[in-house]
Amino acid sequence: MELSVVAFWVLSAIAVLSAIGVVFFKNIVYSVLSLISTLIAISGLFFNLGAELIGALQILIYAVAIVVFYVLVISTVPQYKGEAVDPKYALLSAPFGFILFLELAYVSVYGLWASNTGIFSPDIFNQISNAKAVATLLFTKYLFPFEVASLILLVAMIGAILLGRKEIVEEGGA
Amino acid sequence: MVPYEYYVALSGFLMVLGFIGVIVRKNIIAMLISTELMLNAVNIAFVAFDMKLHDVVGQVFVFFILTIAAAEAAIGLGLIMAIYRMKKDVDVEKLTELKG
Repeated sequence: MELSVVAFWVLSAIAVLSAIGVVFFKNIVYSVLSLISTLIAISGLFFNLGAELIGALQILIYAVAIVVFYVLVISTVPQYKGEAVDPKYALLSAPFGFILFLELAYVSVYGLWASNTGIFSPDIFNQISNAKAVATLLFTKYLFPFEVASLILLVAMIGAILLGRKEIVEEGGA
Repeated sequence: MVPYEYYVALSGFLMVLGFIGVIVRKNIIAMLISTELMLNAVNIAFVAFDMKLHDVVGQVFVFFILTIAAAEAAIGLGLIMAIYRMKKDVDVEKLTELKG
């Protein structure tokens, strides 16, 4: 069997099993650990697909930066005592999850959005590296959305600082 | 090479799992983590279609999704901290009113 096929099956098995763990582990710390496992497996899948830039970013941003946020908050908020999964919603989620799966399967199998064949022809695509192609597109055609994304991050940072700061108690107030 | 349909199927599985997680869990932090699973499922689908179509636009959009995920984590967790400070709880069953 080809190596990429083996890699796909191993990594996707890890990703799916860890995702089940994320949803069903009672302890929230185990959920976050499973999330890290899922994210690293997904970054391996990106490498397998040839998207090395996205795979590296997946590890750097998701598996390090975002998960650190979650660990920080979990260490501040005490462990919630009680059942983690609500049985009545578990029963409710099964049909809705199945409907969502059918919908996704229908759209994927019948290719409702299938349109063009991309802007790069296969031989050009093989000449330039993937990272170069992504960066070229990001800094030319999608420059404005890129700047807007930086603005969104700035606003999110200011909002998080405002939300996270302690309420200042007014001295001698009414 | 693995056919891209397999990646799309994996993406669908992860999407459904994240969706179930948002419905089933009672802890707000766990619901946010399940949202991250759904975002990752979308990322896999984007990159898989890129490889199928010999394109990189999907990977550019993965950039934007990463940005939004980071912003969402910062704001969402800030909100959770504020809610916890007010209500001393992160159980959605008990957070039924917005009034502090």
